[in-house]
Amino acid sequence: MPDQVLISYKELQHDGFRQNPFFQCLLAEVLEEHKSKEGHTIVGYALYYYTYSTWKGPSVYLEDLYVMPEFRGKGIGKNLLSKVAQVAKEKHCARLQMSVLDWNTPSRDFYAAKGAQDLTVSEGWHFIRFDGQALDNLANEAPKD
Amino acid sequence: MEYKLRKAEPRDVSDILRLVKELAKYEEMEDQVMLTEKELLEDGFGDTPFYHCILAEIQGENGTDDLKVVGFAMYYFTYDPWSGKQLYLEDFYVMDKYRGMGIGSAILKQLSDLAMKTRCTGMMFVVAENNESSINFYKQRGAEDLSEEEGWRLYKFHKEDLLKLAAPAEE
Repeated sequence: MPDQVLISYKELQHDGFRQNPFFQCLLAEVLEEHKSKEGHTIVGYALYYYTYSTWKGPSVYLEDLYVMPEFRGKGIGKNLLSKVAQVAKEKHCARLQMSVLDWNTPSRDFYAAKGAQDLTVSEGWHFIRFDGQALDNLANEAPKD
Repeated sequence: MEYKLRKAEPRDVSDILRLVKELAKYEEMEDQVMLTEKELLEDGFGDTPFYHCILAEIQGENGTDDLKVVGFAMYYFTYDPWSGKQLYLEDFYVMDKYRGMGIGSAILKQLSDLAMKTRCTGMMFVVAENNESSINFYKQRGAEDLSEEEGWRLYKFHKEDLLKLAAPAEE
């Protein structure tokens, strides 16, 4: 869904590196001699933030996990996921959550193999979002008398 | 009956926990609430709050000066790398007896006001698919069901698997 990426480099810089950052990001970096065809040494990332469960307390939400196709099959994805789990453990978080597209079988299998549970299937949870005009309308709704 | 919306304060943690448990009961998962008042206090009112809370309060029924907390919304900020900050609504509940008065709508409006003011590009939450009245409430107001429309599924690692995942890799 590349046409849905609306953010700019400036916003990422402001939102991620201020006093109370809105996200944390782990990068996977390779040595210069192993760089990608286009010359990149940063070949993967995990972007996460802290959320709150009223049932269990602080949790970690893994928003993005990605490794460039050229560098897959080397355990980089697994290591990034482990590192995020380590952060969750250090911060005494009770859970690590993420969302996956239903057709993304390799990712669904990857997480299931490590013990993750599909809550949409097992408990019926659906993701809901208000954005754009709908959010605007909601904010402008006339107060009831 | 008049009501007032206000920001939660440290003294409100027992009311917050009471309503959290009532909502969990409504979701048929009451036994899953492990959180204590002490944790709610540390996590919400310490140096780095993990959550924020809006409360709905009404005048006590017997005409006394007692105020009663009858609804709440707990939220925090998350991040969508595609469009930026999001307001994530974790819990949203009005006691059964006080529904139909516009309290839920007023809370949602205040949250969306806040989302716009803080430059959030969206407001997100999860709803159980069997919770038809909530789903209708949101859809009537323009919300999208991303699980249905785009195929997103929510995944979770429980603590035991989290610990296994966090174990250092074998050399």
